[in-house]
Amino acid sequence: MSTSTTSRTIADILLPPEAIPVMPPRTLVKEALERMSASKLGLACIVDADGRLIGLFTDGDLRRLLLRSQKPLSALFADDIIDHARREFTSVSPGTSIADALNLLQEREIFDLPVLGEDGRLEGLIHLHPALRALLGE
Amino acid sequence: MIPKVISIGGNDVAEVAIGGTLPLAFLGGPCAIETRDHALEMAMRIGEICARLDIPWVYKSCYDKDCRSSENSFHGIGIDAGLDILAEVRSTCKIPVVCDFSDAAWAAQTAEVVDLLQIPAYLCRQTHILKAAGETGRPLHVKKGQFMSPWNMKNSVRKIEATGNEQILLTDRGTFFGYNMLINDYRNFPIMLETGYPVCFDATHSVQMPTSMGNVSGGQREFIPHLVRAAAGAGINALFMEVHDNPNQALSDPNTQLDIRYLENILSQAKAMHALRQDLLQEWGEDRVHLDD
Repeated sequence: MSTSTTSRTIADILLPPEAIPVMPPRTLVKEALERMSASKLGLACIVDADGRLIGLFTDGDLRRLLLRSQKPLSALFADDIIDHARREFTSVSPGTSIADALNLLQEREIFDLPVLGEDGRLEGLIHLHPALRALLGE
Repeated sequence: MIPKVISIGGNDVAEVAIGGTLPLAFLGGPCAIETRDHALEMAMRIGEICARLDIPWVYKSCYDKDCRSSENSFHGIGIDAGLDILAEVRSTCKIPVVCDFSDAAWAAQTAEVVDLLQIPAYLCRQTHILKAAGETGRPLHVKKGQFMSPWNMKNSVRKIEATGNEQILLTDRGTFFGYNMLINDYRNFPIMLETGYPVCFDATHSVQMPTSMGNVSGGQREFIPHLVRAAAGAGINALFMEVHDNPNQALSDPNTQLDIRYLENILSQAKAMHALRQDLLQEWGEDRVHLDD
């Protein structure tokens, strides 16, 4: 790991909220999936009216949901995304170093880390590929 | 989801609250407003029955029947005459009234009189109708279209909520089962309850056989009591039935309206079944059989 990478923080490489699928809890599953696809990210960030992150829904959650649910697809599409979101998730603060964030991604075997301010508000997302680019010094 | 309670009427008429663990409410009356005297008589007779049974209720009758099968069928008494009669029923009997409307332009005028504004099943996804209704600020009674899935009623709810109106009652009146036939899917109640709003069962339209008689709808009234008992046990908050003193001569829906002589019997059973369900849930707890829980 390069020195420059360890001295930089994730604030330098995070994807801002406008670049990721951020949505209110009552977004229909169908709409959430469309927004995830449009952003080319495998997760949806569900925030409350104050912008605090209250849930995450990932491609993996979708796979598990499809294997578990016996609902017709049309009914599943009409569910609120929050009903299927995970309420407990790993997150980091803006001051976290890129190295620590990468270690966390590797340790948890995940691709994304939401970045939260002190009040729990979503400030952005660390996605594996931009983080790797930073690591490789691009 | 915390169950919502909606409030209908109040002030100069009785207040009827529907939802949560409140007692079963009844919405009923002749399908169409036929004459002033008939409307008043029916309101008084139904009112006497509901008073004896201590069932909160809302008088239902409509001034325009836009979904008749035939051009020659009775289309209704008209908005001005109809609303005058409903206003008189309301002030005379001190009960809230409900009436549907099928043209967005009629929403405001109708809402000036009625306490509960009804959206016909065939129009339950029409945005202009839903928004016009929502903007009146009145509580709304939305019937699930016979063609709609219960989960898709959320879209209708969201259209109404977008107007700031959160007083909604959702009703099941049967689902198309092939042509000219309806079937009741009692899963619809818990599914529609997921919206948070109370749910209602329309027993008389559920036994309708839409346009099964060429240019008029048939119906199998004999099934009304069975469906009512089942629905009351399945978790409804309100029961809807069209009631007439001479159904065979009714100007609208003659094959499905309930003869008033059976009303007390059926309402008694509905009330008892509804209360029994509440008692059972209190004793044994909420239903929790889903593997995901």
